[in-house]
Amino acid sequence: MKRGLIIWDKSEIPPEVFVRRVDDVRRVLEERSLAALMVYSDLARSHPARFFSNLMLYFNRALLIIPRESPLTLLCGLSPRVYGWIRSVTTIEDIRPAGNFARPLFELAKERSWTRLGALDLDQFPYDIHKAIRSGSVEILNVEAPAVFRPDADETELAMRQKASAMVEEILGDEMREAVGSIDHHFVGRLERRFRRAGAEDLIVLVSSGRTVPAPPTGATLEEGFSACVALEYRGHWVQLTL
Amino acid sequence: MAESGWDCLLLYGHSWRKDFFRCLVNFNFFGPYALALLTRSNELSVLLSHPWDQENLAGRVDADIKCVANFAEAIPSKSKTAIAGREFMEARFVDESTVSATAAVEKLRRFKTPAEIQFLEQAAHLADEGYRHFVDTAELGMAEYELVAEVEGFLKTRGAEDNFMLIASGGREVFGMRPPTERRFQKGDSITTELTPQVNGYYAQICRTLVLGEPSEDQRLAFSIFCEAQTAAENFIKPGVNISDLARVQNDVFRREGYGEYTSSKYTRVRGHNLGLYPDENPYVLEDVDDVVNQNMVLIAHPNTYLPLSGYMVFGDTLVVTETGCVRLNQTEKKLFSK
Repeated sequence: MKRGLIIWDKSEIPPEVFVRRVDDVRRVLEERSLAALMVYSDLARSHPARFFSNLMLYFNRALLIIPRESPLTLLCGLSPRVYGWIRSVTTIEDIRPAGNFARPLFELAKERSWTRLGALDLDQFPYDIHKAIRSGSVEILNVEAPAVFRPDADETELAMRQKASAMVEEILGDEMREAVGSIDHHFVGRLERRFRRAGAEDLIVLVSSGRTVPAPPTGATLEEGFSACVALEYRGHWVQLTL
Repeated sequence: MAESGWDCLLLYGHSWRKDFFRCLVNFNFFGPYALALLTRSNELSVLLSHPWDQENLAGRVDADIKCVANFAEAIPSKSKTAIAGREFMEARFVDESTVSATAAVEKLRRFKTPAEIQFLEQAAHLADEGYRHFVDTAELGMAEYELVAEVEGFLKTRGAEDNFMLIASGGREVFGMRPPTERRFQKGDSITTELTPQVNGYYAQICRTLVLGEPSEDQRLAFSIFCEAQTAAENFIKPGVNISDLARVQNDVFRREGYGEYTSSKYTRVRGHNLGLYPDENPYVLEDVDDVVNQNMVLIAHPNTYLPLSGYMVFGDTLVVTETGCVRLNQTEKKLFSK
């Protein structure tokens, strides 16, 4: 299931962490004379927007806008009925309906007299949005990820990934000890239950008898020497471990 | 392809939208991207982005299978190429000379083969079992995410490939569903869920509402409206009827009861949608959607919305369109559940 529990636990990621990350972006925007940075987000590509705002969509698409001189704005494909929930789990206050993304973006640009915007890894935006936002008079420039998005150099990010890794190691290790002789679906079911109860948002489990590479469960019996690969998302932080 | 003048059809998938790829090569890939390439002369090749996928697919499909490190460079640039999924494809993968095949392939996918309907029947059966487990497990003091964990574990144990699920709990203050929170169930709560297990790629859905404790008069009244609206949809569906009318017959029940304003986008999303390799397929059941229902479509009719009587409430079943009407794939009782 994409996704389970989505929360912002401020004891894990204090607000000042997001302030610092966004300030780093704003410095680059200043250097490049850009009014704002656009960060695309959906289920397949949620990492950067989560890093800057704790936004984790469970469906649909969104464009996070980090202005140089004002608070974040979200152009959001989800219904306004869930904006309150989004505000409760992110640093974002200003949420607007996305439509095809171009129109609300151009309106926002007009409202704030923006003429040059950056887009994080612009060529990785979905083609329809890429085309739509480049159809107006606002200049859209690519901002390459290493300039503003450096999760591997962020202590909080690494600490969260370590927490997620420790969770995988403990629960997967526990369940593997008892799993030989079980049907792989049952093993995966037990993992789902335990990881999601521990607060995991998403989970992918592959298993292997040792004769093939890891693959989704098929209803086979797990034999001595089997291995399991777990990709786990905890508070938006993905880790992968094979035991 | 011949009618459209396409020499090559690409079906693209990424980790969120695997459906276009899987409608031709029904393989649940692990890597970030996959692409199936079909020529007009019926040659099939598959590009994958993770080596495990290449090994797992080998021998399962009569195609040339490659795993590539640079996906963008590996996509062939042929004349008269159409792409299904072009809109959500990363811009760097799209050659401007290509055209979109998304709508055309989506239309083909609407009408299911007997084999596809069998998978949907299995998924609907799993949805019924999952909902029974949901009702059996929910209890006062339990957190939403704990209940979801129990249901996810249950569905995976029974072989579900995945599950799309939303939930909400509370009373009149609840305006919609979303992923589970840490909120703990209280007496009198309406617990709503949309449960959508996936079997061999295909999703079937069930929507039900559970009240913890004895339902209030308002909750019962609200449910009777939802039940009548959903039943109206079920009775109305047959080949040839328009999707806009399918939405209208549901909304008319709310209008007649004085709740017409709660059929607008302020309070609700859609009155149903198609189901298949994606849990939320076109056409969406809305009064402004002009499309025709046809035999072998599989869709859910769900008049889910907010009502001031009860807060957000949900009720819906997966239906397969037959020659003369429709058949419900879910067997769960059509009632307001309570415990």
